[in-house]
Amino acid sequence: MTAVTPHQPEDLNHLSDDAFRQHIRQWIEANYPPELRNPPKRLHWSENQVWYFKLAEQGWLCPSWPREHGGMGLSAGKQIIMVEEYERHGVARTNDHGILMVGPLLIAHGTQDQRDFFLPKILAGEHIWCQGYSEPNAGSDLASLRTEAVADGDDWIINGSKIWTTLANDANWIFLLVRTDKTAKKQEGITFLLVPMDTPGITVRPIWTIDLHDEFCEVFFDNVRVPQKWTVGAVNQGWTMAKALLGHERIYLGSAKLSQYALDRLKTLADRMGVAEDPDFIDRYTRLKLEIADLKSLHATYVDVVRRGEELGPDVSMLKVIQTELFQKITDTMMEVAGENAALLEPMEGNRELNPSGLFLQARPSTIYGGSNEIQRNILAKNVLRLPG
Amino acid sequence: MSAAASDDRAESVRLIRDSAAGLAPRTGDLRRIRALRFEDPGFDRAVWKQMCEMGWPGLRLPEEAGGSALGMAEYCAIAEEVGAALAPEPLVSATMAARALAGTPHATAILTGERLILPAWQERPNTLDTKGDTTTAGGKANGRKIFIPQAAGADAFLVSGKDGLALVERDAPGVTLTTERTQDGGNFGTLSLENAPCTPVPGDLTEALEEAALATAASLLGVMDRVFAMTVDYLKTRVQFGKPIGSFQALQHRAADLKIQVSLSRASVESVAAALDNGLTGPARLAAISRAKARASDSGMLVCRQAIQLHGGIGYTDEADPGLFLRKAMVLCNLYGSATLHRTRFATLAVDSDEG
Ligand SMILES: Cc1cc2nc3c(=O)[nH]c(=O)nc-3n(C[C@H](O)[C@H](O)[C@H](O)COP(=O)(O)OP(=O)(O)OC[C@H]3O[C@@H](n4cnc5c(N)ncnc54)[C@H](O)[C@@H]3O)c2cc1C
Repeated sequence: MTAVTPHQPEDLNHLSDDAFRQHIRQWIEANYPPELRNPPKRLHWSENQVWYFKLAEQGWLCPSWPREHGGMGLSAGKQIIMVEEYERHGVARTNDHGILMVGPLLIAHGTQDQRDFFLPKILAGEHIWCQGYSEPNAGSDLASLRTEAVADGDDWIINGSKIWTTLANDANWIFLLVRTDKTAKKQEGITFLLVPMDTPGITVRPIWTIDLHDEFCEVFFDNVRVPQKWTVGAVNQGWTMAKALLGHERIYLGSAKLSQYALDRLKTLADRMGVAEDPDFIDRYTRLKLEIADLKSLHATYVDVVRRGEELGPDVSMLKVIQTELFQKITDTMMEVAGENAALLEPMEGNRELNPSGLFLQARPSTIYGGSNEIQRNILAKNVLRLPG
Repeated sequence: MSAAASDDRAESVRLIRDSAAGLAPRTGDLRRIRALRFEDPGFDRAVWKQMCEMGWPGLRLPEEAGGSALGMAEYCAIAEEVGAALAPEPLVSATMAARALAGTPHATAILTGERLILPAWQERPNTLDTKGDTTTAGGKANGRKIFIPQAAGADAFLVSGKDGLALVERDAPGVTLTTERTQDGGNFGTLSLENAPCTPVPGDLTEALEEAALATAASLLGVMDRVFAMTVDYLKTRVQFGKPIGSFQALQHRAADLKIQVSLSRASVESVAAALDNGLTGPARLAAISRAKARASDSGMLVCRQAIQLHGGIGYTDEADPGLFLRKAMVLCNLYGSATLHRTRFATLAVDSDEG
């Protein structure tokens, strides 16, 4: 994988929020590849590395990382502005597991050696990461995972398999949860490991999604030998490591961006189908629009918590439930409005803005990944409402 | 209908349903379906020929026209099995053409499987209007027809227009056929006619279109019934947290709700088919068909969406089967009228009919 020399960014915290927003916006508009705006599918590394490298060269790849580690060291408020500006412009996700997960985890819980080795490689686009948690028999019940690592001298020997690993076919490193103690309570026998994908014994099988995209993979481990120095945190403390990363994920999953994008496309579609002025459509559209507005209001209260530097509680699960189901409801409506066009495999009239069936399919997994909505509701019922049972 | 007559009828429906098992199996793997996807013509002409030999496109035609003069109940039973099997052969649209052409040699050619003639009736999305702006006067066809299912495999088209029906050969000069792939792996054709030679034929597609709408509701019933059965099986066998996921009450209630939707859809489709067979006419007939199609379209999509959700990650893959059912529902739900279209039609018709 080619890489770039990252630039140590200037400190932008001194700018006013407005000035910061303008600065970011102008740069995105000048630098983001137009053909990558709002892509119909999750982009592969071959497609989005241009943007990854641009950000890296600018020194803007890792807004949340402290400056001494090569990040922007932005305040929580400015990080949020940055995300808002990306969303506004339709900037696609990069292969961001290193930026969003591995980096912050190592900064908080890694050894100095690990930080020295890995952080610069993420910043340079040399290491592209994927997340190996789920297994064929450990999805919602992640703690029952069985891929095991057995100590052998200074190494671990790993056997088992991971599945639904997003963009494992692009990655050269994977972070894993593995079983290291079969006798302990299930959460207590899990360890967090960092593993190079080119280690002998690893095979990757891409899996095609219903959107006909090789977006995730199954990853097999057959006597894979890796050094123990790439263990993050203590042995058998992997569950704690994984949990440290979760809250972060849920606030992103709760952003109204996907729903807003879909709602705009619903409007485009209704215009094209000639129903935008029908009272029935106006009612449905407005209903969805108000739901987005309310979601944004609720989201803002959580953003404030983050901005104040406080921990998010389990009630943040609400955001994920609302946003993902709203996204689905909007695309369900698109299917009805599209008429017979709902059947088409490709966007209508070759226009990416008119892609009801594609968006409908892309909306499906959002209620499954990141903790399914059933699991989120269990959390709300048990950990927030403290209902019995 | 007397009790004995109605028992006979149920037996006839059962027999016809059983007879579908060979060509349109409700169980087993979907290898045949997968192999035909996204390749022209999107279905297997040899299997279509066998379906013709079984008499399927002629079910609704009178015996003197080479059909078997059966009712909508039997036709819906076959259409349901074809839906449950996800069979891509164009039963409903070919039946529509055969029905309109009954008594002509063209119908015979369809019934034997020798020629596939598909109706080209639609000019705009979201409509049941078969007339449009196409003209066929003077043996020349001019116009543009869209959303012709499985058009890539057609030999000729039964084109509707202001001047009535006419046959247009696919290879005739002035005929341009383009196709777009559909989510289920089939295709929709767009037929452009510029002074294309055509042969006027008597008749009209209106009645055949109504039957196609109800048969499509029946196919959606087959789709949802089978994917629901698969999902219930999955709830019983998939283990998380040390138990089958079907033991979680949230999922039990979800499954119970879906069962209600499947049952309502079956009741709707079967009662409407029976009412048609008992001679329901006029606005009440159209309203009844709209009731069934609106229900089947909405419930079909709901059940398929939930099948994906309840399967978790595997439900989002192309290699697992629930997705194939969702994609079929995406194609069928708005064919011959979306739920919205049929509800709107019901509202305007039902005021002065028994269905109101
Ligand atoms: C697009 C996509 C990308 C993904 N990317 C990654 C990745 O990069 N890395 C990774 O490790 N994983 C990834 N995943 C996996 C994802 O985290 C799992 O799919 C998810 O945890 C659900 O697990 P499962 O698929 O095994 O479903 P199951 O856990 O088997 O669930 C099946 C159904 O049962 C329900 N259910 C389960 N338990 C309960 C309960 N107690 N109460 C009520 N309902 C319940 C679920 O909600 C679901 O509807 C991805 C998944 C998808 C769809």
